[in-house]
Amino acid sequence: MVIDTQIASFFTAGSLIIIGIFAALFIDNLIKKVIGLAFIADGVNLFIITMGYKAGGIVYIFLPGMTINQFAPNASYPLPFALVLTSIVIGASTLAVMLGLIIVLYKKHGSIKASKILGE
Amino acid sequence: MSLYDIIINRIKKVQGKDEENEPVTSIEASSTLAAEITLLSSLLVAVIMLRFFSNALMIVAIILVIAIAIFAMPIMPRLKREQNDSLNGMIFYVILALGIIAVLFYWGNLNV
Amino acid sequence: MNPLIPIMVILPIACALLLNLFHTKERTVKILAIIVAIALPIIPLIANYGLHYFGGYAPLAQNPTIAQGLPSFITSSALNIFHPAITYSFESAQRLFIFILGLIAFLAILTSLSETKKASGVYAFLMFMGVAAVTAILLTDDIFNLYVFFEIAAITQVGIIIASKIKGNYETALKYMILGSIASPLLLLGIALLLGITGNVNITDIVYSIKNGLVNPQNPVLLTACGLIIFGWLYGSGLPPFHTIKSAVYSKALPHGAALLQAFSVFTLVALGIIIFRIFSYLPFAKVFIIAISLAAMILSITMALMQTDVKRIIGYLAVGELGYIGLGLGIGTAFSITAGLFQAVNEAIITAFLFIGFGTIIYKTRESDIRKMGGMMIETPKAALLVFLAGLAMAGVPPLNAFQSKLMLIQSSLNAGIPELGVIMILMSIVTFMTFMKAFYAVYMRPKPRDLEIKNEKIPKATLFSMIVFLIVCIILGLFPQVATNFLQGLANSLIV
Repeated sequence: MVIDTQIASFFTAGSLIIIGIFAALFIDNLIKKVIGLAFIADGVNLFIITMGYKAGGIVYIFLPGMTINQFAPNASYPLPFALVLTSIVIGASTLAVMLGLIIVLYKKHGSIKASKILGE
Repeated sequence: MSLYDIIINRIKKVQGKDEENEPVTSIEASSTLAAEITLLSSLLVAVIMLRFFSNALMIVAIILVIAIAIFAMPIMPRLKREQNDSLNGMIFYVILALGIIAVLFYWGNLNV
Repeated sequence: MNPLIPIMVILPIACALLLNLFHTKERTVKILAIIVAIALPIIPLIANYGLHYFGGYAPLAQNPTIAQGLPSFITSSALNIFHPAITYSFESAQRLFIFILGLIAFLAILTSLSETKKASGVYAFLMFMGVAAVTAILLTDDIFNLYVFFEIAAITQVGIIIASKIKGNYETALKYMILGSIASPLLLLGIALLLGITGNVNITDIVYSIKNGLVNPQNPVLLTACGLIIFGWLYGSGLPPFHTIKSAVYSKALPHGAALLQAFSVFTLVALGIIIFRIFSYLPFAKVFIIAISLAAMILSITMALMQTDVKRIIGYLAVGELGYIGLGLGIGTAFSITAGLFQAVNEAIITAFLFIGFGTIIYKTRESDIRKMGGMMIETPKAALLVFLAGLAMAGVPPLNAFQSKLMLIQSSLNAGIPELGVIMILMSIVTFMTFMKAFYAVYMRPKPRDLEIKNEKIPKATLFSMIVFLIVCIILGLFPQVATNFLQGLANSLIV
């Protein structure tokens, strides 16, 4: 059974988001929690990229020698890649701040369990 | 601990069955009383707004709220304990709210 | 094209980067920060209304030179009026909001430079970046640009908490980031679903597509997008279930930092709320949900405020509870209620900043924030006590101060709309708010001083008193002449209803 590439990709993105929410909710180790949060962001980025997929589409660069009538109906959707680039950078910077905070908290409390540091 | 034990302990904690007794100042007692009265009265007035959906639902909801209030009277200490600063509690309520929002917006729009 | 519109965002960013560069040179940091902070409220007053296109060009319908060479399947469809640029729109409501945000930022930066011993360039960097981010959120007409600045605002808020050296601030910062890392990607997912259905990230074009039948308005994907964007809105503004972490964030920041943070939350609520209303107001369920969550915000936060013992937590929960009034104004959905809700937002930002800076004087003098250990401050700081009392009266809605006018308008609009229960709850919550404030005021100022309370001998800095007096003057002006603000807001409210 051949599944359409786009549908398989949407499923992967959805399962990444669900795995990330599960990790953020249930795992006690702070680093693993943060990895789960990174999964959520990755899942959403994959979802956006998949929306730009076009079966048999050409790259959206208007080369010299192409005409508009050749380009416009065949090009895959260019907007998602621009949005995802920005989103990946935002995710990386948020991840960096969170990991920095975890390092400081580990030095202060000596443990990396979320229930000890961030619980009541 | 197994998942079942965690759930049972949590429900017992919310019901207040394993409380410690600590001394209470008069300013705390009067604040809790005021908060309790505010909570119940605003909840009752808010439930009256269900009259826009169906009158029968509103009457049932008012009777339910009054009954729960009488049987579970000191609600404010439990509410204060639930809204503490622990990460696990906050994430639980966030995911619960996400689930409620997803369900309501996908399916609840049909009759409003 | 109007060059002052991008300057409103670029100037604070440039100043922030320069301040970060000059971090250890105190005099340079102070002079540069004060000059740009004075410019922040002045620029929106002198800029003209209009649109600004970043990185693109005006729509094809207004751009005949580019539209000439294009085939007719582009120029005769809706693509002709879509915006191929990141559009910033500056109208009368944005003028009022950015002016108030700039005023609060100026006074917060002034207070921070005078209350801390060494001027910190990095701290001023965080405050200016936050102001730039929220200004961009207010101005932008592009929903993905809004998400980018939303994330920048979240990171700067975390930075402001970390810089405060209050016990427990790192833990609160990490909790806020973890909750944000769940909510923000889901907001982005909602934006992605909107992009997938309508093919646009420009809000005006999305609204056009939905209104003119280019997409099916009852499409379940659109409804899911509405739910996810509302979920992201709950995180950015501090409505339940994020009210506990928001009030914790306010309590772990220095008082002037908390004043600025709550202004960020209020204006994020206003900006995202207006966008949700513009796109999704045809769904009656969205308005019902906004009313329900605003009621939950008011009831949960104000009852929690009564039970707190830390004065910053009390004001933090009161600040989050007052957001419920703004949400109710948006949820009721008539032009009068939206004007009232937005006016309440402006008043709330000013009054809560006033309260934070006012109670910050106590913390400055006693280094203590637990109300069980305080007392007798009226003898030490009588002028500050009077100003804090007036701030509390303002928050409760006593005439002739500003919240009276906006709360009266909200109650009247709920009666006009045929939902008197909301009016009753609003009055009840105002009474309880005043009771909570009086409890804190009595405990801090009016009862006798406990023996072991140490009070520093330094006088409260003149800049702090100046900030509080400016806030009081704005409160009195808006209370006596509410038309000064509502004239700016009526254009937006009427355009939202159409």
